[in-house]
Amino acid sequence: MARMKFLCDADRCIECNGCVTACKNANDVPWGVNRRRVITLNDGLPGEKSISVACMHCTDAPCAAVCPTDCFYTTTDGIVLHDKDLCIGCGYCFYACPFGAPQFPTTQAFGVRGKMDKCTFCAGGPDEPGSASEYQKYGANRIADGKLPACAEMCATKALLAGDGDLVADIYRNRMMSRDGRPQTWGWAKAYGAGA
Amino acid sequence: MKLIRKHAASEAVKFSNGKAFDRRTFLKRSGLTAGGTALAAAMPLSMMRRVDAQTPPERNGGPVETKRTVCTHCSVGCGAVAKVQNGVWIGQEPDFDSPFNMGGHCAKGAALRSHGHSDKRVKYPMKLENGQWRRLSWDQAVQEIGDKMLQIREESGPDSVWMCGSSKASNEGAYLQRKFAAFWGSNNIDHQARICHSTTVAGVANTWGYGAMTNSYNDMHNCKAMIFIGSNAAEAHPVAMQHILRGKENGSKLIVVDPRLTRTAAHADQHIRIRPGTDIPFVWGLLWHIFENGWEDQEYIRQRVYAMDDVRAEVANWTPDKVQDVTGCTEEEMYQAAKTLADNRPGTIVWCMGGTQHHVGNANTRSYCILQLALGNIGKVGGGANIFRGHDNVQGATDVGPNCQTLPGYYGLADAAWQHWARVWDVDYEWLRNRFDDGRYADNSGEPSHPMNLPGVPVSRWIDGIIEDPDHFSQRDNIRAVFFQGHAVNSQVRGPEMKEAVEKLDMVVISDPYPTHLAVMSERTDGVYLLPTATQFEQAGSCTASNRSLQWREKVVDPLYESKTDAQILYLFAQKFGFADQMFKHISVDSDGHPSPEDTLREINRGAWTIGYTGQSPERLKLHLENKHTFNTTTLKAEGGPCDGDTYGMPWPCWGTAEVKHPGSHVLYNPELPVSKGGLPFRARFGTEHNGNNILAEGSWSKDSEIQDGHPAVSYGMLRTMGWHTDLTPNEMATIAWVAGLAERPNGSVSEADIAEFRDMESDALDGVAWHTDVSGGIQRICLKHEVAPFGNAKARCIVWTFPDPVPVHREPLYTSRYDLVSEYPTHEDMQTRWRLPTRYASIQANDYSGDFPLVFTSGRLVEYEGGGEETRSMAWLAELQQEMFVEINPADANDRGLRDNDWVWLEGPEGGRIKIRAMITPRVGRGVVWTPFHFGGWFQGKDLIDRYPDGTAPYVRGEACNTAKTYGYDPITLMQETKSTLCQIQKAA
Amino acid sequence: MKFRSALLAVGALALTVGLSGCYESSDVTRFEPGEYKGADDPLLAKLEDPEFRAELDSRFDGQRDR
Repeated sequence: MARMKFLCDADRCIECNGCVTACKNANDVPWGVNRRRVITLNDGLPGEKSISVACMHCTDAPCAAVCPTDCFYTTTDGIVLHDKDLCIGCGYCFYACPFGAPQFPTTQAFGVRGKMDKCTFCAGGPDEPGSASEYQKYGANRIADGKLPACAEMCATKALLAGDGDLVADIYRNRMMSRDGRPQTWGWAKAYGAGA
Repeated sequence: MKLIRKHAASEAVKFSNGKAFDRRTFLKRSGLTAGGTALAAAMPLSMMRRVDAQTPPERNGGPVETKRTVCTHCSVGCGAVAKVQNGVWIGQEPDFDSPFNMGGHCAKGAALRSHGHSDKRVKYPMKLENGQWRRLSWDQAVQEIGDKMLQIREESGPDSVWMCGSSKASNEGAYLQRKFAAFWGSNNIDHQARICHSTTVAGVANTWGYGAMTNSYNDMHNCKAMIFIGSNAAEAHPVAMQHILRGKENGSKLIVVDPRLTRTAAHADQHIRIRPGTDIPFVWGLLWHIFENGWEDQEYIRQRVYAMDDVRAEVANWTPDKVQDVTGCTEEEMYQAAKTLADNRPGTIVWCMGGTQHHVGNANTRSYCILQLALGNIGKVGGGANIFRGHDNVQGATDVGPNCQTLPGYYGLADAAWQHWARVWDVDYEWLRNRFDDGRYADNSGEPSHPMNLPGVPVSRWIDGIIEDPDHFSQRDNIRAVFFQGHAVNSQVRGPEMKEAVEKLDMVVISDPYPTHLAVMSERTDGVYLLPTATQFEQAGSCTASNRSLQWREKVVDPLYESKTDAQILYLFAQKFGFADQMFKHISVDSDGHPSPEDTLREINRGAWTIGYTGQSPERLKLHLENKHTFNTTTLKAEGGPCDGDTYGMPWPCWGTAEVKHPGSHVLYNPELPVSKGGLPFRARFGTEHNGNNILAEGSWSKDSEIQDGHPAVSYGMLRTMGWHTDLTPNEMATIAWVAGLAERPNGSVSEADIAEFRDMESDALDGVAWHTDVSGGIQRICLKHEVAPFGNAKARCIVWTFPDPVPVHREPLYTSRYDLVSEYPTHEDMQTRWRLPTRYASIQANDYSGDFPLVFTSGRLVEYEGGGEETRSMAWLAELQQEMFVEINPADANDRGLRDNDWVWLEGPEGGRIKIRAMITPRVGRGVVWTPFHFGGWFQGKDLIDRYPDGTAPYVRGEACNTAKTYGYDPITLMQETKSTLCQIQKAA
Repeated sequence: MKFRSALLAVGALALTVGLSGCYESSDVTRFEPGEYKGADDPLLAKLEDPEFRAELDSRFDGQRDR
């Protein structure tokens, strides 16, 4: 079975923050909590690039590895989720995560002050899918409704893709093929030298 | 968690080195700063309430409805899908079926649902009394405001009330705003298109016929080259970038010309920094290389372009060294760009406010057109002038809405225009005329003119209508009251003078979902009314995207709080003033006082023949809504299904009545298609000859045309000459006779016998009835039958002999950093009257401000906000992302002034307006140029005005309006304001 | 018994720590996830259903350039 993956095509990302507000919209994420954010390199300089970052749903997730309450679980297709009823908000996962994904709300909007909050790939949490308690703690469960993450589905330029990793790779590969002598993939210049 | 030993150092996860994830940048951008935290602490209660309202469907009970609407934030026309339960907007889904956005949204579009539960709205009618906001009932508000307006009308005439409609209104709302002003008896109504693309509309329409985007966002998939001048699509039209980047992936070259390295420029093959206000030298600099190398399309020019040689003469002056001196662009850069455009055809040009908002805006836009004509790029798939409009319905409001210089459909203000609309409205022309002041006032040429025929005060100049010496003002008295319905005054320049003007008024009425900057910017303590007004999500209606496609919006939720729609409010005032029966004669009004949007659109369909707003009936629009998924996303053409062959949204011109089933015109002036399938030549709008030269097309016509040569616009007389008039039905013939003044309005069905006398009649009146005045649509129907363009077949022209500069010439900005160039490239002489007001040029440029104010000051958009920003700054999801007004300043300029990143600074303009904002030090702007966003308001000259907002209505984010510090300067043709090139000085705030 | 094994563990750890100072080891001490102790997520069962997976995959078409 393939794994669910995000991929952000840096050649398409225009730093419009559509993914950020789509996430807020779908999950009612409170002010100050950013499950997804857009990172810009070389801001204002030639070569400026942006990518959208959230929880990357790692295969060998460092957050899960370090969690002292073992509140993390991974779905069969690779979505990393956690149980807020067990989470103690210690922030160890925040240290471990290479992407800064874990967030710690200061308000009670998610029902549990201080407990870790992060991107769920719009797959909610361990509560009954679509239930009020799941929504309050984790936000939407779009996956259970047969939908994919709102951020990618609403991406302005279809830069951010989310779904079965094989299908995501397929789109990306096709785009690369059609980029007509423009292999401006993220990291391409680094790998093959500028001008390659 | 368990600790284990692992023999896998090489497989160890590579942790980020911290560089790729610039937290500091993030913190700054997402604003987890003091302001944000303080705000968050104040928010939990409302957040909790919202979460409660958001309990998922299953638990809430009741069916979930799906409503389809269109984003209200820019002109791309992104479809949005709303989930509604028990009248509450509970969810938003991507509209994958929309051929415009295919589900995509920018930050604003993806946050649309926050319109559905905004608690910053004006919740009930209010009045400012002794410095306090007092709640009123709707009836009290309408009576008080109405009585005051009637009193002013009595004392000073109808022109002393100035109205402002909106690009945010639906086509129907915007149309009724214009119609309301007409029935009130004044042309003093306008809307934000004035300060958006008015110079485009004038410049482009005067070049080839219509002043609108010629192709579409989708058609950019077909481009081989794209040049953006003064357009930052990545922030202003983000979803357009989906199409632009697809075009680029298909192999198109992308050139971005901008003083800043914008986020659009970040995706370009070539970015060229230009000094603000030097667009014409830049374009002439490109053409210099094009002509020098013989890259122009000579056959195209011969057939379809008039007076390119006049341009050639002016371009010859713009040698590479001169171009470099004036624009700052090197010969290599210019040559490379010119060669890219020449080698990669068809190519498109895109421009936005960076090109239009100048005191030479009309000439800028003409120069862009001329560049495309020289390259032979207009009227081609993948070519065109893709002018991106700004608001969701600014195109529609320009087409059929509140404009001070024309009636709906660009008919103008001449008697014939009024007579046309009087016929459509089914009212007596003399009655309409008597609604106006009967004085005579100087027009542009100083001739006395009736106020009905004299353009009103435009949105850019309303403050001058209040403060100008009445002796120099072409109307009976100064403006004494303003009625704003959907406009942000912080988008106009000259803040201190605006404050003075607002304080002089008898009354200020603000009909808006939010209080707006206008409610708080002055020291007024009385006479300000707030009328809670519905957004477009609280009503049904149509809107026109930038590509001229119309889309139907379903109502998502009922008007929030005590809000009413624009049309409902206008109906209340029409009743108060006693003309409701006349104004809504053919528009049904339901028991809640809602004028029917369908009936209103049908009335537009019956009147707007000039631009083919006639075939897009509500029924056809709804059919397109239901079948969005059947349209091709590149050609926009329905492939099979109930809309087979139609272009999505039937981009105007959609000729004839809906029954004729014209598909709409996807690519304007494309002769490869027959007219009945959306093809067209250039419009014959400027006569048939000029100085003895034929200005009709030569050897070029649209496919299958039965007139295979240039020809003037089609009239009944022309049909008669061709022998085609016999095809007119009796009803059509009778209508034409009525328009000609030879018969009564046809009533019921007409028999051949009734009109027999007209069939062979030779009459100038009958012959003069034309494609755009024949309200039966018969002439257009017969044109289509013979594949002839109703508006004629002419050449595009490179000179506009009625404008101050027939060939665009460079004129330095009024406030220029290169004062040394003023003697060679001076501005216009002062003008005694432009429409109604004296307009200054040379007398301002006479002073050199570049010493005390050395920085060029320009402005633009942020992706999170839109327009004046009152609406978007009131939405938590957006406000969180941009919490402070700032100015981008180059590191060199910052160091010269001892500034550090994030310092508070004072930015002061040469007219004395000053704003206190944060410094953002960045190489994005070049040395000597500073840039600010223009969406902020709610501060004035260093002071946060939060205390002046009615309780609970202050936007989350407030800040200085950049235009407070901006200066005088207006285009002589459209009175567009100069906001993209003025001067300022910046110093650290204490 | 418990005490002894704990002592042993501490001893082993001390030994490891002690020795690790004496040579450069290519081995690293890392964390691995423990056993999930939270509530069962009903979604997991649903994801096993091939039809449901197919539904998700077809939903993905919305993200393609149409």
